[in-house]
Amino acid sequence: MYRSLILLLFIGAANAHQMSPTYPKWSDSYIDDISVSRVRVFNKRKDVEYYEIGVFDKDMKPIPFVTQYDLRGIKYHNYAEFTIYINNEYKKDALYVCSKSMLPKLKSTGVVSKICSKFKD
Amino acid sequence: MIKDFSYTLALTIIVGIISYGASKSAFALDVPISASVTGSCIISTETNGTYGQPNAYTLTTAASDGGQMPITRVDVTLASAYKVKFTVPNSFSSSPNLNDVVTFTGDTEVSAVSDATNMADYETDKVEVSDYVDEYDLTATGSTWFKHTSVAVNGGSRAYPSGNYTSYVVAECIAL
Repeated sequence: MYRSLILLLFIGAANAHQMSPTYPKWSDSYIDDISVSRVRVFNKRKDVEYYEIGVFDKDMKPIPFVTQYDLRGIKYHNYAEFTIYINNEYKKDALYVCSKSMLPKLKSTGVVSKICSKFKD
Repeated sequence: MIKDFSYTLALTIIVGIISYGASKSAFALDVPISASVTGSCIISTETNGTYGQPNAYTLTTAASDGGQMPITRVDVTLASAYKVKFTVPNSFSSSPNLNDVVTFTGDTEVSAVSDATNMADYETDKVEVSDYVDEYDLTATGSTWFKHTSVAVNGGSRAYPSGNYTSYVVAECIAL
């Protein structure tokens, strides 16, 4: 009776999203008043091609930062290193850097994975 | 005599070369191997989820109703360094036009652990942040499997229109 209803939910099997380090650190950049940090994202999710990076405060509110691509394509079984630049004015409030998997629009089903590392001086 | 001398000289040179080579090989063994180990969190989707439909107005992941619960695995390499937060669906990410309000319920539970001793309290210690959000402190290194349930009931017990219904769980691993 209900066969006409196509039912889909979460997809993906043995797919993984990894980010390191747990506690990245800021260091001085070559530009005055700008600090830099780096995180590495590994994509072992077949269903995900793009990851978004963001910097957040203790309440998970976004903090201004600069990186080459905040939305970046990472091929399956590859990693990408995100280099993050931040004005020292915002550095004290920046507590987390998070990477989030972006599900394809036409396959907007599955598990959205988000991993947050914490800045420690 | 000259032949013997040549033989001795050649033998000396060969032994010298071998000794030199052996000593160089011994130095080669001193090549250092170093590593920098940094902690990380890995979120894996282990099992697909599917809604079953026990009646015209209900979609559920319960196996008894023809559904399948999605299972997520979280691996951490540092103890007490992460908490994990799961948000089960409170809306469809895509569906046909619905004229009624859909009521979502759901939950997350620990389904298996890699360290039965140190992870035994994960489920009892979980924090239910809201009807849809559960948090767990990952106090031990290793793997934890979480199963998620989702039930969506169409308002007024009206039948769901035919079409595709999709939804997703949000899994967050946050450094402490």
